[in-house]
Amino acid sequence: MISRRALELATAILTGSFGVAVVVSSLDNGIGWSSAGVDAGTFPFLTGIIVVLGSLYNLVRGLVPAATLANVPIAITPTELHRLAGLFVPAAIFVAAIPLLGMYLASSLYVLAVLAIPRHQSVPRALAMAAATALALYVVFERMFQVSLPHGALASALGF
Amino acid sequence: MENLQELLHGFTIAVTVPHLVLMAVGVLLGILVGVLPGLGAPNGVSLLLPLTFGMQPVSAIILLSSMYWGALFGGSVTSILFNIPGEPSSVATTFDGYPMARDGRPTTALATAFGSAAFGALIGVILITFLASWVAQVALAFGPPEYFAVYFLAFASFVGMGGAAPIKTVVALAIGFAIAAIGIDTVSGSVRLTMGVDELVKGVSFVVAVMGLFGIGELLVAVEEEFHARAVSSKIDWREVFRAVGRLPRHALALLRSAAIGCWMGITPGGPTAASFMSYGIARRFSRRGRYFGTGEVEGIISPETADHAAGTSALLPMLSLGIPGSATAAVMMGGLMIWGLNPGPMLFVDQKDFVWGLIASMYVGNIVAVALVLLTVPVFAALMRIPFVVIAPLIVIICVVGAYSVSNSYLDVVMMLGFGIVGYLFKKLFYPLAPLVLAIVIGDKAEDAFRQSMLLSKGSLGIFFANKLVTCLIVGGIALLLLPLALQLARLLRKPAPSTGETTVQETVPEKVII
Repeated sequence: MISRRALELATAILTGSFGVAVVVSSLDNGIGWSSAGVDAGTFPFLTGIIVVLGSLYNLVRGLVPAATLANVPIAITPTELHRLAGLFVPAAIFVAAIPLLGMYLASSLYVLAVLAIPRHQSVPRALAMAAATALALYVVFERMFQVSLPHGALASALGF
Repeated sequence: MENLQELLHGFTIAVTVPHLVLMAVGVLLGILVGVLPGLGAPNGVSLLLPLTFGMQPVSAIILLSSMYWGALFGGSVTSILFNIPGEPSSVATTFDGYPMARDGRPTTALATAFGSAAFGALIGVILITFLASWVAQVALAFGPPEYFAVYFLAFASFVGMGGAAPIKTVVALAIGFAIAAIGIDTVSGSVRLTMGVDELVKGVSFVVAVMGLFGIGELLVAVEEEFHARAVSSKIDWREVFRAVGRLPRHALALLRSAAIGCWMGITPGGPTAASFMSYGIARRFSRRGRYFGTGEVEGIISPETADHAAGTSALLPMLSLGIPGSATAAVMMGGLMIWGLNPGPMLFVDQKDFVWGLIASMYVGNIVAVALVLLTVPVFAALMRIPFVVIAPLIVIICVVGAYSVSNSYLDVVMMLGFGIVGYLFKKLFYPLAPLVLAIVIGDKAEDAFRQSMLLSKGSLGIFFANKLVTCLIVGGIALLLLPLALQLARLLRKPAPSTGETTVQETVPEKVII
């Protein structure tokens, strides 16, 4: 279970650290005024400062007791978290597998895995859908629109 | 009258067989993304974007804008039949649309929604026809300070009127600006904010951001809830369609008021979602039958639908004539314009007459095509909703992954897209607005350039933003909009002296720092 408060804090910290990174990184480009006008780092520096200040405000807002936050103290219930993970974890594994397996193999395995392992579909139907996915990708991208999708390290090792 | 001539010329471009086919394809794809939860108009349009690179700009924009109309209509279908808004902007339609459909009048609800939506769109297009070239003419005289002032006003109106928590809007905007700044600086040529990753030199494409924020983000929000597609009957009774549309003129006041709200919110970047909610709220307050709202009132469907479409359509006006998109989807289309080698803004009306008037004419035709197609295909798309979400979700993930990759054949983009997905989920969950973020990513660079050029002109003095009446008005208007939430908060506190004074001091200090 994740409380609304914890989620607000985590998001504020996330945006705030992005802001800090922007501020630090923009200092390399110089801020302020030079012979060529406004320095390249000035604008990002200011936006970074705004992000940091805004995040601090949201952080404080998140710490103040629940009166200010909507009346829902719980943002994500355990069941919801379970469902979220069920979607996101396989998707992340799929993306991580693309460089090795290539887009076609990775996406068919992904479809097969999410449909067959939790038994949403029977194995033959899941297999058919996985094959159809790869085929559709190939026809639409490689053939119709001439966009080459990554074939993966495995395929190039095998000589495709 | 010159406008009408140009418009007629536009019709000769838009009403050709290839373009009509493109419209039909666009509308059908649009309805599809509108119906599917997790895919919306912004990422539907950005998914199609890589496929339009080889097309003529007119054909490409006709395809994309038709998709937008289709998505707006498709979102209403699921709102009414399933109580599941396919688009954020059709949430308000569920309040009265679903109760009416549940009471056994689905055809009436759908026909009322489509009829008033078409009316809203029509008003929006008429507004564009007569106003856009005039605005563009005025804007031709703009220099960098004027441009920056207009950008500033656009961003400020998100903060003042967007409806989300003001500081969350400011954070979203500023993050968008920072993301836009990543890569090579167009003025000095130096590399910025890559944080040591060489591949970031090319910048972060807004397509990648949109796929993640809207695609994966919305999917993650959608997966949390179990879907109960408790469909009401989706059979269309054609006689009832005409009867329902025939009854619309009785609600002329509601139609006109909602169209006005929609156009206003579309031109100032409030966006369709804010427009439909605002229109629904105002209708409930002013209608004589206001207390029946929520039980299937006709005006409860008319108001959000008219405003939604009027806003969606008129959002293209500032995009065409000023180069400032009025909604997230318009922002994506504008990104497309830049990729096709066009420069959005007033010069379009001079250099690219065929493009501009072809698009405007296609908006008239496209909306008619959309109404016809959506009525014909309601049963088909309603059946689509019965496909279990577990099957659709992985397909949407694959579409987003492939889409992000195909922008510039980069694996890093795919990883970033997934990261944007998490950000999109968090932002949605905590009511950070996404539209300003996308808008800032698309036009952040231009706003920055306008600011720096102004500074060069004035040799570093901010006084240039108060040098003439126009700029002063725009800047003062922007500042007023920024301060609006604060003023409202103070007014509320004065009326009801609350003990929580510690909180107001925090609020007082922050917006001041925002005005730079």
